[in-house]
Amino acid sequence: MSNVRDTALHSGESTTSELAATGVLGVSFAAFVASWALIFQWVDETATVAGLSVLRLLGVGLIAAAVGLVAIGVASRMDALDTTPSPTAGFAVGLVVGLLWSIVGAVLATALLGAGTLLWVPAALAFGVAGSLSSLLPREDIGSTVPVSLVIAVLGGAIALGRLDAGWTWEPSWLSATVPGSELVPILVVFGSLLAVWSGAKARNGFGAQGREAGAFALIGTVVFGMLAVLALLIGFIVVNGLETMLTGASLFGGQVTVPVIGVTLPWVNFPFLTNVTGGLFVEVPGVLPATLGTLWLVFGAVLFAVPLGVGAAVFLTEYAERGRFTQVVEVATNGLWSTPSIVFGLFGLAFLVPRISGGNSIIVGQLVLGFMLLPLVLITSREAILAVPDEYRDASAALGVTKWQTIRSVVVPAAMPGTITGVILGVGRIAGETAPLLLVFGGPPYPSQTPNVLGSFQLTATPPFVTNEALLSPASALPYQLYSTITAGVFPKEIFTDSEFGWGTALILLLVVIGLYAIGVGSRLYFRRKLHHE
Amino acid sequence: MSEADIEQTTETGASNDRLTTSGESEEQLREEWREYDFAGQPKLSVEDLDVYYGDDHALKSVSMDIPSESVTALIGPSGCGKSTFLRCLNRMNDRVKTARIDGSVALDGEEVYQDGTNLVELRKRVGMVFQAPNPFPKSIRDNISYGPRKHGDINKGLLARLLGRDDTDKEDELVERTLTQAALWDEVNDRLDDNALGLSGGQQQRLCIARALATDPEVLLMDEPASALDPIATAKIEDLIEELAEDYTVVVVTHNMQQAARISDQTAVFLTGGELVEYDDTDKIFENPESQRVEDYITGKFG
Repeated sequence: MSNVRDTALHSGESTTSELAATGVLGVSFAAFVASWALIFQWVDETATVAGLSVLRLLGVGLIAAAVGLVAIGVASRMDALDTTPSPTAGFAVGLVVGLLWSIVGAVLATALLGAGTLLWVPAALAFGVAGSLSSLLPREDIGSTVPVSLVIAVLGGAIALGRLDAGWTWEPSWLSATVPGSELVPILVVFGSLLAVWSGAKARNGFGAQGREAGAFALIGTVVFGMLAVLALLIGFIVVNGLETMLTGASLFGGQVTVPVIGVTLPWVNFPFLTNVTGGLFVEVPGVLPATLGTLWLVFGAVLFAVPLGVGAAVFLTEYAERGRFTQVVEVATNGLWSTPSIVFGLFGLAFLVPRISGGNSIIVGQLVLGFMLLPLVLITSREAILAVPDEYRDASAALGVTKWQTIRSVVVPAAMPGTITGVILGVGRIAGETAPLLLVFGGPPYPSQTPNVLGSFQLTATPPFVTNEALLSPASALPYQLYSTITAGVFPKEIFTDSEFGWGTALILLLVVIGLYAIGVGSRLYFRRKLHHE
Repeated sequence: MSEADIEQTTETGASNDRLTTSGESEEQLREEWREYDFAGQPKLSVEDLDVYYGDDHALKSVSMDIPSESVTALIGPSGCGKSTFLRCLNRMNDRVKTARIDGSVALDGEEVYQDGTNLVELRKRVGMVFQAPNPFPKSIRDNISYGPRKHGDINKGLLARLLGRDDTDKEDELVERTLTQAALWDEVNDRLDDNALGLSGGQQQRLCIARALATDPEVLLMDEPASALDPIATAKIEDLIEELAEDYTVVVVTHNMQQAARISDQTAVFLTGGELVEYDDTDKIFENPESQRVEDYITGKFG
């Protein structure tokens, strides 16, 4: 091997090998994207492009990628290309390729010899060892292209020849379900194209350390793309299913609003699904207003309960308590509380709080139970945030003769505010969608015909407890609770929506409420950050 | 053996001799500079101060009197206890849980280490500036007025306005006065409401000095105030220290001997082990020290 080319710092213009590798990358990434589109049903699996069905086209794409990879690998081995390969592809690659080959071996043996024979075991072993060795022994340019390409080519061939297509189903004996080929084949193509992307990225950067870096980077980048796709699918699916329900009867200026003092009536947004009550005789479009208000009251009460308590405990633990056995015990207990299942909190509320406070399901017990659930997270995050406040601030404040409590109030806690808010945001996201404890301590009629009137129900009395609030002591409905009731037991009272239509609409509103709460949290975090750091 | 080698051996031998002899007269030397004399009453007088961190004896029986309205430099190698000594003067060492302090520190003849000392009052009278600039993440104005506001000397905000006790004018006056004293007013007077963290390192340190001046102290303790700054910012801080010494008693820790020589009126040399080895006029220390160890340290031969 001549060293002259290898030590060049800069290889001139893009070479043929780079072009070929770029082609492989392009084809594999296109296959990757197309298979996600198929999995999500954005593209129908029976669609045809230029006379070929989409699935077969994917198979052909995989074969093309495999051929390109082999060509680059062989050409590089014959020193026809400008590459800097290592002596071997490394153990990790050998292990993965061996595993892939053993799967191919087992499948081939079963397919050729028929199921029921145990011959697939030695076949898998033999293929696995062969695959491992074939990627370990040769130089890296062969080891990380050819064995991988063979796997890709076998997969691509099976798809292109129609052995695996949309009509094929997988019915494993250990699973009662049937997995349709229209889903399974694209998933296999996703894995195949990931392999090709990795190998192609390595080849494009001439193998060696740079090639490995590029391979890993391409693989991670593609996987991140897949993750974003999953997220987009989830949100998109809810929006698509719920949008029609949510917008039923909605119009920009269909409604009317009367300005209180002047008495003028103005056209206003009409949004019956959000502004109507669910049950009742005269409701044309049943809405989710009671449940939305219920969720907001729950979150408000829980935050009101948990934030002062959690921040106070965090201040005590970090600023006053000696670090030692006691703080360790508190730490362990807090973490344990955070990982306690929510239904256990609900059971506690049902057995302990309900008989003592309201004697039945009620808003205030729901608020307390969710507050208990929120408390440990607020404590953990604000403790971290307070610990992260530099000691220099405390020193500077003490040197000015300012007492510890004043320092905590005007320097430490404000500086820890963004971290605390982050914790509250995370926690609110969790409790706003919590259903299990609400079933036990909170839920009332699933289709309420009136909204919880918490503010209007406060009454002063001359005898203890001096303040009463009937609404807080009554059950109500919340979005996740209503969603659950609608889907499981609901016989929806109105004919305008079916159960599932109403459910999807509720789910979309819940999603929007949670996103709105996030937005408030992120906004206030930004506000405090800007106050703490310059501009 | 070459001539140069011979010369070197004799020199080493000679200095060894002097080291041993100086060791014997150490006690006697101490007696001499303990009587370091200056006109008037000492601002701070320290008697037999010992500090222990756990089992570590960090400061050994240090006694010194610090004259008022002057710059006193504390120099010495790292870990010699000079910062520990400084932090004893406003009882900042109380914040270290493992620290134990014996001895006496008197401010204007009044004992600092006694039960019932009002730490708030002490630290108002003895201000401190730290090694790294540490402004609060607040506006420049709020940094200055932080101390007085917490002490109730300046009332601001909605409640104060409602009660008719709003001290905004007083605050403005204070901000302008202290920032001018700290030679920062011209640079920041148009952005007093900007966050202090947006200032440069040198400006931040001068802001910290202004913040310390805002509580109207008599003594300013400075713990290597320029060690984290570039030469230009350092020069500004040094000029500032000399100016401040006209009104305040400044005690400054530094490990930069040139800095001590430039700015201080008297210098105390601490050497490894937490001992105060010599304390005298700065000129005397740098030109003709009594102790051989001090001379070795000052000339760069580590003592």
